[in-house]
Amino acid sequence: MKVENVTLEKKYHDAVEHWRRHNFKDYELLLENWQKYFPTDENFCLCAKLELGTSDTVAVGDHAGEKKRVAPDQLTEEEARHLLAIIRAQASTEFGSIQQHAATIDRAPDDEDRFWVMRVMAEELRHGYQMIHLLLSEDWSHASGGTSGKEMVEEILSMQTGSHVLDAFNLDYDSFIDNVVFAAFIDRVGKYQLTMQKVCAYKPMADSMPPMLREEAFHLAAGVVPMRRWAQRAGKDDVFLSMATLQESINKWFPRALEMFGDERGGDTNIKFGFKDLKNREAQDQYIEEVTRMLHDINSRFLRSRFPGDAPEAIERALEGLESRRESYHGVAWTDLVRLPDRRFFRRKGESAWQMIGIDGETFTDVDTWLHYLAKHLNSGYMASRDLKMYADVLRKVAAGELKPEEASKRMPRLKRVGGACPCSKSVRWVVD
Amino acid sequence: MAQAIAGTRIRPLDELDIGSIVRIDERISGIYRPEVWEHRVTYYLRRDPECSQVAEVDGKMVGFMLADVRGGEFGLEEPAGWVERFGIDPDHRGRDLGKQMFAAIVRQLAGQGVRSVRTLVDTRDAQVAGFLGALGFVPAPLQALEYGIEPGSTEKA
Repeated sequence: MKVENVTLEKKYHDAVEHWRRHNFKDYELLLENWQKYFPTDENFCLCAKLELGTSDTVAVGDHAGEKKRVAPDQLTEEEARHLLAIIRAQASTEFGSIQQHAATIDRAPDDEDRFWVMRVMAEELRHGYQMIHLLLSEDWSHASGGTSGKEMVEEILSMQTGSHVLDAFNLDYDSFIDNVVFAAFIDRVGKYQLTMQKVCAYKPMADSMPPMLREEAFHLAAGVVPMRRWAQRAGKDDVFLSMATLQESINKWFPRALEMFGDERGGDTNIKFGFKDLKNREAQDQYIEEVTRMLHDINSRFLRSRFPGDAPEAIERALEGLESRRESYHGVAWTDLVRLPDRRFFRRKGESAWQMIGIDGETFTDVDTWLHYLAKHLNSGYMASRDLKMYADVLRKVAAGELKPEEASKRMPRLKRVGGACPCSKSVRWVVD
Repeated sequence: MAQAIAGTRIRPLDELDIGSIVRIDERISGIYRPEVWEHRVTYYLRRDPECSQVAEVDGKMVGFMLADVRGGEFGLEEPAGWVERFGIDPDHRGRDLGKQMFAAIVRQLAGQGVRSVRTLVDTRDAQVAGFLGALGFVPAPLQALEYGIEPGSTEKA
């Protein structure tokens, strides 16, 4: 594997640096402590990385077997528009997650967890930089409706929590638990998207994926390993962390993670154009299988910690009984473990959008009963949030027949906050000529 | 890149392998030490997840081999692959899983321009030494040395 590092034109590089000074205040601290927390690892590089020696041939879709496209004008206008939307959404997620992480990173219970998340933030910044490189390295004008590269960058850097493209990036974190569960659940969707895009018929996009995926592997560990350790502490009845607390955060993020794949009935266009190699439902199914394994593993860590004298085979049998048959084990009930909500739970987009379906698949018909149910399964900080208020308002309209579900889905998110341009007193733009 | 041979699949390490590695290690060593493997797996994932490989048989992870590329240590400037830890579930030995994982690692290292792979072995452990020999490892001019420190050495002579 050989990788080419590319730096943006100075004014754009400076714009990203300027953005991170406002949105990622711990960046310098991370770089100063890099060798302490990540000894012998290569130093961080804020640059675009392109894998060399990848396939030149389109792998899937209508153009399978043809030479990959290396410039937007080799794509049809429709293909280029579609790809541009993917790049823009990808860029939005990268910068959006930094804004989310930043709000609660100082609440990390220990410094290792904190520096792990900081590294995740730095690498997300690099991924955002990568997407900006894709937008600026070629001329997209035939697909952008006249919007210049500079304007697209300005728009991306001006997004805030509440105005990003995907819902998962418009929710505030309520505690450091969200930093970790987000990494385990939402970054995992990112891994799927990057993996699917490795085949992309637009070669610069495909070449961007392998370096991003290698970094994403650590991001998932930065979610899963703290969750495992917390489960171990919960097994010891740690007063500060419980499996119930983890479950509330899972309930918050899992539905948004599923929606990041797009509507279950869609994804054909991505394959037709050769941009991805799985349809939305196929990818979502694989994801669900993977996070089910993840939670099984976390539950195993919990039981081993609770019953240190029990043989591993006994714990595995007990776990099977708890998860599959809802049995109990020496006073531990299946509800004491973490579990994956029903894939239709608390959805706002996709085929079960705006249906009132509980964690175990139970259905609700009355909005107030449903909201009281949600209050029992989501953390109180999130319940008191603007996002839940908006959700409840829109849901009431859907339930009353005043709004169609598909129209309601388009209204989420609508948290847009005032402002968006650089907050420096003397500057109103991120990109300065 | 994952590779499959009749029910066997060799693929890069990921963070969900930690539980299986803990289980395999516990079967081999009799010690349950999840913290050790959480730490080591995270290290290898952040180095380069494709340099470490695991083996699945019928969908169950039954073997692992952790490796990375290092350079600049002990005056060895040329980057070399280092295989540090490996283990195969005792129920799944004798299937060449170790060879298959090692072959995948070598392919990955070769793609990075690496020209040699190194490891350390306790020559008194005939099983491990034999396994490494079967993979093609040979004694290197580079020799591991050790110096014993007597208790009480912190006191000034």
